[in-house]
Amino acid sequence: MECLQKTKKKVLMKGNYAIANAAVMAGCECYFGYPITPQSEIGEFMSGKMQELKRAYVSAESELAAINMVIGACSTGAKAMTSSSSCAVSLMQEAISYASADELPIVLVSVMRGGPGLGNIYPSQGDYNQAVIGGGNGDYQTIVLAPSTVQECVDLTYKAFYLAHKYKNPTILLADGLLGQMMEPVEFTEYPYPEIDNSSWALSGAKGRNGRIIRSYAPLAENQCVFLNKLYGKYKQIEENETEWEEIDTEDADIVLISFGSPSRNVKSAMKICRKEGLKVGFLRPITLWPFPSKRIAELSKKVKMFLDIEVNMGQMLKDVKLAVNGAVPVEFFNRPVGNPPEVDDIVNKIREIMK
Amino acid sequence: MAVQTFKLPKSLKEGAKFSFCPGCDHGVAVRILAEVLDELGLTENTITATSIGCSVTIYDFINVDAIEAPHGRALAEATGIKRARPDKCVFTYQGDGDFASIGIGESLHCALRGENITAICINNTTYGMTGGQLGPTTLLGQKTTTSPTGRNVEYYGYPIKIAEHIALCDGTAYSARVSLDTVANIKKAKQAIKKAFEIQMKGLGFTFIEILSTCPTNWKMTPEQAHDRVRNQMMEVFKPGVYKDITAEKTV
Ligand SMILES: Cc1ncc(C[n+]2csc(CCOP(=O)(O)OP(=O)(O)O)c2C)c(N)n1
Ligand code: SF4
Ligand SMILES: [Mg+2]
Repeated sequence: MECLQKTKKKVLMKGNYAIANAAVMAGCECYFGYPITPQSEIGEFMSGKMQELKRAYVSAESELAAINMVIGACSTGAKAMTSSSSCAVSLMQEAISYASADELPIVLVSVMRGGPGLGNIYPSQGDYNQAVIGGGNGDYQTIVLAPSTVQECVDLTYKAFYLAHKYKNPTILLADGLLGQMMEPVEFTEYPYPEIDNSSWALSGAKGRNGRIIRSYAPLAENQCVFLNKLYGKYKQIEENETEWEEIDTEDADIVLISFGSPSRNVKSAMKICRKEGLKVGFLRPITLWPFPSKRIAELSKKVKMFLDIEVNMGQMLKDVKLAVNGAVPVEFFNRPVGNPPEVDDIVNKIREIMK
Repeated sequence: MAVQTFKLPKSLKEGAKFSFCPGCDHGVAVRILAEVLDELGLTENTITATSIGCSVTIYDFINVDAIEAPHGRALAEATGIKRARPDKCVFTYQGDGDFASIGIGESLHCALRGENITAICINNTTYGMTGGQLGPTTLLGQKTTTSPTGRNVEYYGYPIKIAEHIALCDGTAYSARVSLDTVANIKKAKQAIKKAFEIQMKGLGFTFIEILSTCPTNWKMTPEQAHDRVRNQMMEVFKPGVYKDITAEKTV
């Protein structure tokens, strides 16, 4: 697979390759990874491209090793990433907790498949909780970006590197097997964000200064209190500055459909059909799963009659929607436990049924 | 006659107080490591990935850039550092549990890839920091808090000979086992560490030093008794020597 660099025209590309190419274009200096379907093409692409460009690439012996290699590289201020899926991302939870405490800009591309356990390689949204809540220890929060098209995979890969370095915070691009495997026309612009200067904290050798320490060990409880308050101050800033979502036709809506990632495309189509039938249906798609657009959903809950949350899992984002709505109006749920998104017709029928 | 006054290595932080128990060999190991960094002029060009164990706060003593890796992951983080910044001197300082138990995968693969990194492993035949439980190098018959009647093969299997295993990896340039029980052996240990860093800076591959060390606290011994144990029991199983040195004509 060729690295396209900047493209003038749109090219047809598989989501996984698009993510990898975007990472290269974002200036990713180091890739470390271990194969797992449905994202192995990312590592395959990187193995050739990074060597060609004389950047760092390691076929790591495990996901434990891969993500800790990312931490090591990021500790020097480098742009570094790994990619993985579901059961293998489970192995990375300890490191994500460490990287959060260390405030390191690690980038993880997580392409969801079916779970729990080994599950299967069908698309899924079953790792919303794994990404947004996380399975590591202690109080921490990762930034989570959720693309819904292959083009958005590109745009949000750029953004993932930018936000990770801007806030020195672990950042996850949460795609799914459908996006990873499907082909769509995409365009690659230059990396659109400013480069962040890491020189004030990165490890570079203690030349003419004392050694810098990146650590999480905090033997004194008082120090840990100060640190956590500071960390949560940063999270508050991220919530204020970076919450992103797409919203359509909510002005006069009686019901607002909420959906993220690739299934949101069918949800949007269903909304359009309902509108033609005269039903007052709006649409909201969180692009940042954390920070979550809770404020906007809370505002909407004052004017709409109900929400319908649609996911390909057993109802993980649903809890965040309900928290935001806070009982103001009913929140209905429609899902497929795993696999392809619910069909447009089925969504339309569900909307008709609950709006009766 | 000139009198040699006691001088701290420049690579040690001013006023740093070791947090190791009295009589523990960790302190000696950290000191000779600092001396080597001084002598090779590496202090200002070094990054270390520290480990979890009694050595966790080594960054409070040695004045180099440092990141604290999770338990067992030091050589993965060191790999990330070295690949991102190949001109830096990169080392890890790990316990036997960190290196050879929870981190054995990272350790072997780092050696197999031939990363230009120096790893120092403090073998004290126990998980010192957590209170002296059975670890990967606990000797047969050795009593620990999780082998109350002594290590038997039935329940626990065998201890690992780390330096020999690392020497078997094709990416390893240097693998040696040393001890700190006599002044002469401390000098040898320092020479081995120095050699390892020199080989790293020439870019010849992975370098490794296993240091037989005491844990008087968990062994419930005086420092003197502990050094006797290193000589009489540990060295019987873990024989000191250079197991691989691609820069030498002949090795053990
Ligand atoms: C993942 C994980 N498991 C367990 C621990 C608890 N723990 C801390 S240090 C240690 C053992 C360290 O032993 P060793 O590496 O031999 O170092 P020593 O203290 O003997 O120098 C353990 C089990 C931990 N911190 N992290
Ligand atoms: S517990 Fe053992 S290894 Fe740890 S500092 Fe004390 S004597 Fe040394
Ligand atoms: Mg030990």
